[in-house]
Amino acid sequence: MQGISSEELLMFFKGERMLSQSSMNARSRDVYGLRCLPGECVLQRAVMVRKKLTAREGRGWLSGTLFCTHFRVAFVPQDGPKPDDNADPMLLADHDVALASIEKVVVVGPNRTKLVTPNSSLKFTPEELVLYCRDMRVICFLFDRLTPDAQVIEMTYTIAKTYQPLKPGSVLSFQNAALGSVEMKQFLSNRRRDTHMNWFESSSDWEQELERCGASGWRVSTVNDRFEMSTSLPRFLVVPQKVLDTELKKSFAHFNEGRIPRWCWRHPRGSDLLRMASFQNNIYHEKDDIRNLEMILFGCQSSLCVVVELGEELPSPADIQLAHSRLRALCLGDISTSVSVPDDKWLSTLESTHWIDYTRSCLRKASEVACLLRGGHLTVALQEVEDRDMSCMVSSLVQVMCDPYFRTQHGFQSLVQKEWVIAGHRFYSRINCHRDNDKEEAPVFLLFLDCVWQLWSQYPSRFQMTDDFLLALHDSIHLPLFSTFLANCQRERCKRSQNHGQCYTPVNGWIDMLHPDSSSDASDPPLPPVWDWALQYSKQRQDRFTQPVPPTPPLQPLLNGNLNTNPDAIRLTDTIPGSVFLLSRGTFSCPSNLLPWRSSSSGIYKKTHRRAPSSENVPGLDRLLKLWALTEFPQSLPSSCGPQGPLDPYEPLLPLLMGPCMGLWRECYLRGALHAQAFSHPISANHPHPVERLAQEVQQLKDKLSQMSTSTDPNLSTKKSEPRRIDTNLNQNTNNGTFLFPAPRTQGMGVPRAAPPPTSRGPPPATAPPSRPRHKDSGGSSKHTFLFGHSSVADSRSEQRYYPTPSNSKLPKGTSSLTS
Amino acid sequence: MASPVSMPNSNALDAHIPTTPRDIKDMELLSDVCLLAGEDRIIDKDIIYICPFNGAVKGKVLITNYRLYFKSSDPDVSVTLDVPLGAISRVEKMGGASSRGENSYGLDITCKDMRNLRFALKQEGHSRRDIFEILFRYAFPLSHGMQLFAYLTQEKHEENGWSVYKPIEEFRRQGLPNNKWRITFINKGYDLCDTYPTVLAVPYKSKEEDLKRVAAFRSRARIPVLSWIHRENQAVIVRCSQPLVGMSGKRNKDDERYLDLIREANDTPKLTIYDARPNVNAVANKATGGGYEGDEYQNAELIFLDIQNIHVMRESLKKLKDIVYPNVEDSHWLSSLESTHWLEHIKLVLSGAIQVADKVTSGNSVVVHCSDGWDRTAQLTSLAMLMLDSHYRTLRGFQVLIEKEWISFGHKFASRIGHGDKNHADQDRSPIFVQFIDCVWQMTKQFPTAFEFNERLLLTILDHLYSCRFGTFLYNCESARDQHEVRLKTVSLWSLVNSKIDMYLNPFYTPESGRVLYPVASMRHLELWVTYYIRWNPRIRQQQQSPVEQRYKELLALRDEYLKKLEELQLSDSPSSHLANSSTPNTSSSTASTPPQQYTRLHTPF
Repeated sequence: MQGISSEELLMFFKGERMLSQSSMNARSRDVYGLRCLPGECVLQRAVMVRKKLTAREGRGWLSGTLFCTHFRVAFVPQDGPKPDDNADPMLLADHDVALASIEKVVVVGPNRTKLVTPNSSLKFTPEELVLYCRDMRVICFLFDRLTPDAQVIEMTYTIAKTYQPLKPGSVLSFQNAALGSVEMKQFLSNRRRDTHMNWFESSSDWEQELERCGASGWRVSTVNDRFEMSTSLPRFLVVPQKVLDTELKKSFAHFNEGRIPRWCWRHPRGSDLLRMASFQNNIYHEKDDIRNLEMILFGCQSSLCVVVELGEELPSPADIQLAHSRLRALCLGDISTSVSVPDDKWLSTLESTHWIDYTRSCLRKASEVACLLRGGHLTVALQEVEDRDMSCMVSSLVQVMCDPYFRTQHGFQSLVQKEWVIAGHRFYSRINCHRDNDKEEAPVFLLFLDCVWQLWSQYPSRFQMTDDFLLALHDSIHLPLFSTFLANCQRERCKRSQNHGQCYTPVNGWIDMLHPDSSSDASDPPLPPVWDWALQYSKQRQDRFTQPVPPTPPLQPLLNGNLNTNPDAIRLTDTIPGSVFLLSRGTFSCPSNLLPWRSSSSGIYKKTHRRAPSSENVPGLDRLLKLWALTEFPQSLPSSCGPQGPLDPYEPLLPLLMGPCMGLWRECYLRGALHAQAFSHPISANHPHPVERLAQEVQQLKDKLSQMSTSTDPNLSTKKSEPRRIDTNLNQNTNNGTFLFPAPRTQGMGVPRAAPPPTSRGPPPATAPPSRPRHKDSGGSSKHTFLFGHSSVADSRSEQRYYPTPSNSKLPKGTSSLTS
Repeated sequence: MASPVSMPNSNALDAHIPTTPRDIKDMELLSDVCLLAGEDRIIDKDIIYICPFNGAVKGKVLITNYRLYFKSSDPDVSVTLDVPLGAISRVEKMGGASSRGENSYGLDITCKDMRNLRFALKQEGHSRRDIFEILFRYAFPLSHGMQLFAYLTQEKHEENGWSVYKPIEEFRRQGLPNNKWRITFINKGYDLCDTYPTVLAVPYKSKEEDLKRVAAFRSRARIPVLSWIHRENQAVIVRCSQPLVGMSGKRNKDDERYLDLIREANDTPKLTIYDARPNVNAVANKATGGGYEGDEYQNAELIFLDIQNIHVMRESLKKLKDIVYPNVEDSHWLSSLESTHWLEHIKLVLSGAIQVADKVTSGNSVVVHCSDGWDRTAQLTSLAMLMLDSHYRTLRGFQVLIEKEWISFGHKFASRIGHGDKNHADQDRSPIFVQFIDCVWQMTKQFPTAFEFNERLLLTILDHLYSCRFGTFLYNCESARDQHEVRLKTVSLWSLVNSKIDMYLNPFYTPESGRVLYPVASMRHLELWVTYYIRWNPRIRQQQQSPVEQRYKELLALRDEYLKKLEELQLSDSPSSHLANSSTPNTSSSTASTPPQQYTRLHTPF
């Protein structure tokens, strides 16, 4: 059943190197101190090895044993904790590298370095082994004089032969090595999805988001349920309530790939964010079509729509790919070829990669959009030719800037699901981990992570997630194991997962409706989503994904999207209803061909719609953008009272884009750059940062306080899930990264926009425990229904999922009955 | 809150400028300036400040014998300027009687602290002449036979900063004298070397006559003396000036023997001599009688550290100013930054100091010199000592370090800064000390928990490097300071600092003695000190708030609140009724209302 049979391996590697082979009935096995995955074989072992630690790991050296299996290079520290045989299998331990992440193997011997390829032969005994990884880590192992030479040489050969420079086909065998065993398949199919985030896979997920944003006037349409309208769009689309499905169906043809305008998010001041592909021009516009198209485009705002063109000012995928490859070359600087850029040319070379320029232009565009939305009561439609790269980028950046929920770990995960995974960003092609389509390769998502990092580094206290989390996500992209990144759209993911039980997938009975033709082999291992962090990161490391004492999201209830206190908005309402403007290069215009059906060539529009679009700019719009430019001079903007003033939680986090304010994500790109550590000494390895110590103390007090309160007050017993969270924090604080946060104002934290009624007996707040809360027990019992879906499915799910503090009157249809 | 141009770090200047309602009458505009004791108003006038960020701003200017103060009268634009006259490097008239353009007639002021100020005045009357002459006199008092403000101020502080550094005590702290090193008072009347301090540590075996003979062979008699000794391995850092080798390649047996005594003191097999200069500069110095130690020095190796001279540094910082003030060069920021070479110079200084520190850690004694041993040498020894000795990373220890390696050993502050001197083009001026403070800042960035002091201290030091309010940085050497009775007649900067210690403490300081700090001296990891060099740009302000520090304050407030609640809980007898009200729902309001006053307690150990 294993992907690579042991016979194959035996043929490939001499028999004596096969140190072990797993037995089929053990879940995982301890081989020489290494906890193997089911089916994992240790191919080679070297003792007395030291691993160089990065600044983040505390610097210095760690001694232990090095292993190579057919899935990873593992390093087991000498004094590490004993592996727990009953624990769930974990793909990678803290010091491991998956073979698929390795890009280059270099050995350092006496006075020489050598790049090792599968065919190389060594003429010296390496003293040092350097692994250059795709995720820009550089991992360095030092062999001791006491390490037997044979082990050193064999280890080097084994890694060189096994790491498989990615090529078509090699990914599958890697996946099989990791996940292919019966036990792993079983294990994965019993994994439950993280219910604290929104997966945007079912229609109720979308309804939940509409509810969360207080977006009325919109509905979830199922016209694309079988991907018949558009293959790359998700199954569920949010469209204006007043547009019927039958009308909707006619509009798909008017857009590239059928990607019609869809709702993404509503700003608390009432503006809606939409995204769409470019118009199909060679199509006849019937009168009814025009009416529908306008309705879809204007959404719920009757007066004003701004189309934001994402082509011109933003980098193309090819630009991004080139910039990123330059950045990699610059930051990794290969010791085997010593081509690293001289230090005195570092800054200009960094500039000439254009990577920072591209983050700036994305952030600038997103800032413009955020400022438009702040104006209130207009529709902003992002338009990109294919609507699958920069739309993802800009729409998600806007939401990170404007919505505090998306700055929490679970919120951010939901955002990535919504705007990238489900929206059809072509992860599979852009990452190109199969090396079968170099033309399409472009790390658009990595550029996005960098943009988010820039925001984080300028406003660290406004994020609940940390840069550790961003880093973990960054590294996971390079590991070809996750369904999240191994498909181009929801349809592809559905097709794949239909072959493997129902792991991670909610069951609505739709699987049967899919075309049974399947290109993927049923024996492929089931792939987990990246969000199942426990597969990759230990509890301690996951705890560092969030701040020790997280910030409080705003507590004001959302007034149905009408939190309109902005004086600027008033000016905008004066415009003629139905005005459409194009935002391009920072100015507004109204070109005649903006909407093809309104252009002169299409006569119908003019006849039926008397009013001609105003060709003048709306002064209010310009003002909105000007406000943004002025925020770089904070005193000119009355609403921003500086960092010490009261924070309006909905004021967007507008980044400073001046040269000196844009940073390089050193913790990511310069990790383990060897020269950087030449003189490093551990300073804080054993000392938690004082902020962490204090945060820990505060957490303990809070813990104590809540224990005392719960023990004395029956009313508060519903808050029981809270202490759980506290426990996890105690662990995490011992060695946390950075942390910054404004003080929480209350104990609950993840409820984004609605205040939990203090005595609510509803499900506990979503964010309370990243650790599985106690009510999971009930989730366990419902697992079967979950997997094999029947009518009771919805019930069991509603218990697992968190609905944002339902004030009962406003629950979306169909769920209100379940929670009561 | 604060006006856009007066930066948050203007509190580093210790000026208390109360905020005023916007519609204040013109007359009262300047009445709220809080003057220092001994500070006198000279003149005030209506003027237009041509702000590079907000355009022309009408207001009033006040000139005292210490500062130039401007406040806008326009209620829409609130601009305040508070510039110590000492920070002014140059005052020029701009435009003539025939100038036509709007606001083209006025004054152009160049400052030493990375900014320029332009004022426009009415052409009628003699308003410009008056103000120009007053500024010129009071900004450059020494050029006009007047006294520096440090001699006029009457301010009093609880602490006396002049007692911070006592050479003998500092030597004793290092474990000196011992059986290898002795303290000599040979320079008591500055007879041996007029730019050295009176108390020196020299090898035990050297005789006073030896010292005199060595002095004859060292530039300006700055003989090799001990700066720092490693407690465990007894390796030392010795500083001096270049040997007077000259074109003919003179030798001096006494000097050679003397260096060998230094080597012998801890049985270092080979004494390492670090010449801070680039090799070519050292060779060129032979033409003027200087040079470097040649092969005749047995058991010694010579290493050049390639650090450029004061002129190169001055031009580099000038270029940096060009790209950050008033507007930040945006389109090619990184390559513009690179072309100033400022960070590269920082890197060379730091990596030189790292080499020194590393050598000493491994047990080898080192000698450090440049040409005269008062610029690059001071940078290298003080930075190496900062890396080696955690005492210098404390607030008071850092003051000692500056007093010792910079002030007492004769870094020519008066010449490098040009206190009270109108000659702005003086070739002796150079930002050597600024560069040192920048290096310290780089280290605090890389080791955020290793320093007891915070960034505000560094900014304060640099502000008062120019301000002439304190005696600390006045004059070139100890002998001149004695002559002008600086310690008697002026206040020390450390008096101000040590009287308000809380302002300058790093809340995250984690004392760790005996750890050597090696910063990463690579362009990949050095950063421009934006909050100093670009602090006048209002856009930068937003980032000045340290989120970590703020976070810390908030946590402290939260801790106190929780402690209080716990206490209440433990006291309360009727738990059910009490708790239902207090615990959850009220948390938010009470947290918000708890003022972060506990900040002052933040150095309580926990």
